[in-house]
Amino acid sequence: MRYIQRHSAFARGLHWIHTIACLSLFATGLILFIPSVAAAVGTATVQGARMVHRVMAVIFIVAPIVSMIISPKGFVHLWNSLFFKWDADDKEFMKKFFPYLLFGAKQHMPPQKINKSGQGAVDGVLIFASVFISLTGVVLWWPEFFGGPTSGLFQWSLVLHSGLMILIGVIMLAHIYLGAGIFQPYKGSGKLMFGNGRVTESDALYHWGHWAKDELKKGDNVIVE
Amino acid sequence: MAETAIMYDSSKCTACKGCQVACKQWNQLPSPLSSELFEYTESFQAPRDLGSNTWLIINFSEEDKEIGIDWNFMRNSCFHCTDAACEMACPVGAISHKDNGAVVIDQDKCIGCRYCVASCPFDVPRWDEAKNKTFKCWQCFDRTSAGRAPACVSTCPTDALQFGDRAEMLGLARERVSELKAAGFDKAEIYGEDELGGLHTIVVAHRGLEAHGLIRDPKIGLTDFWQFLKPLGAIGAGATVLGLGFSYFMARDYDRGEYSYDEATDTVSVKEVE
Repeated sequence: MRYIQRHSAFARGLHWIHTIACLSLFATGLILFIPSVAAAVGTATVQGARMVHRVMAVIFIVAPIVSMIISPKGFVHLWNSLFFKWDADDKEFMKKFFPYLLFGAKQHMPPQKINKSGQGAVDGVLIFASVFISLTGVVLWWPEFFGGPTSGLFQWSLVLHSGLMILIGVIMLAHIYLGAGIFQPYKGSGKLMFGNGRVTESDALYHWGHWAKDELKKGDNVIVE
Repeated sequence: MAETAIMYDSSKCTACKGCQVACKQWNQLPSPLSSELFEYTESFQAPRDLGSNTWLIINFSEEDKEIGIDWNFMRNSCFHCTDAACEMACPVGAISHKDNGAVVIDQDKCIGCRYCVASCPFDVPRWDEAKNKTFKCWQCFDRTSAGRAPACVSTCPTDALQFGDRAEMLGLARERVSELKAAGFDKAEIYGEDELGGLHTIVVAHRGLEAHGLIRDPKIGLTDFWQFLKPLGAIGAGATVLGLGFSYFMARDYDRGEYSYDEATDTVSVKEVE
């Protein structure tokens, strides 16, 4: 059986760290977002959650910055995956994706390059939202450096921080559904980031047809077992 | 308990600051001893602002006129709004309304997030860094629940402050505005009747709202919008989960087959799974 090594140990490690940080931020943020939850868990737990939220926020911000410094190639790869020119297959993929997702995946999807067009678009939104949720979080943490809590900047940060949490939360639900392979045609995808980073020849051809053919031809990242 | 209110009549206030002192004494709020905190500003107002240990001050709006300084005093403290932005913004339910309309902070529940500080249109709640909690006037609820007037009211020597049934206080305020208008104060107005659902501090502003530094038609502002995000978030998450659940149901039996690639012929073949 042939496999393609799709993700490096470094990329998977970063994904693990960011997953833990992101889920912790979401859980601790929800405690503050829903007063009935805060009331149910009590003041001490809420204060603990605020501290965890801040520690995880630092990890959430610092981890990708450090990874950019350690592995600039990875950053360039990410940048290219966001801003590549869409060809006919990419456009067709986007057109067919929602019917494919919602109505039983019976559609034949066009082959894709290393990153699917839809994935690039969502990643772009996610990165943009992550940058702004981090910036607004800094204002909420240290309002005294930004005109104090009565300033418009603090008030807008509070609104934007919450709004971006909802946006990221909704994207994360879809990301988990597809990435963890809960969606039947994506079965086995969870191993890509949480396992050994390898994708079977069959899965690679199904998801990223152009990329899989290139990799199988080159053979550099192909593992036969 | 009936709905009650404090009524402040600016035309009767002499700014003796007895109310400020009574507030500090009853609520055991220490004054800062450092002179650095009392920078000379040419104003008779002291202290300059509310603080975590100063829940009430009389603001001195000083106008330099030909006949000398003309003061427009204003009681600066919590207005105990019916639609209280601080209560809406508090993420842990530490701020609540008492039956008589007083808005109080439960210090055991306060986490010091300062969302109430950010949301109050009157800039009233103040955060104490050392205690990491927020403080403001609670209309001496310990006194009023025992049938007594708040400390500030009980000490006022000119009856500029009165306390009682809110409807009664509004009646007194209307009467007073009529008297003031008859006496030549054309701009005299009542504040607090309808603002933010009705305030529990009614003001007779004898020189008009602006002269006394009152915000005409105050708004809750972004706090309202922020609250709107909560049901929106629930709808967004619910719709996503429903959509993905539908997707799962529709695709549950689908099998795409085994894909393989022959580099020599550059062909992809799909073997159907039986």
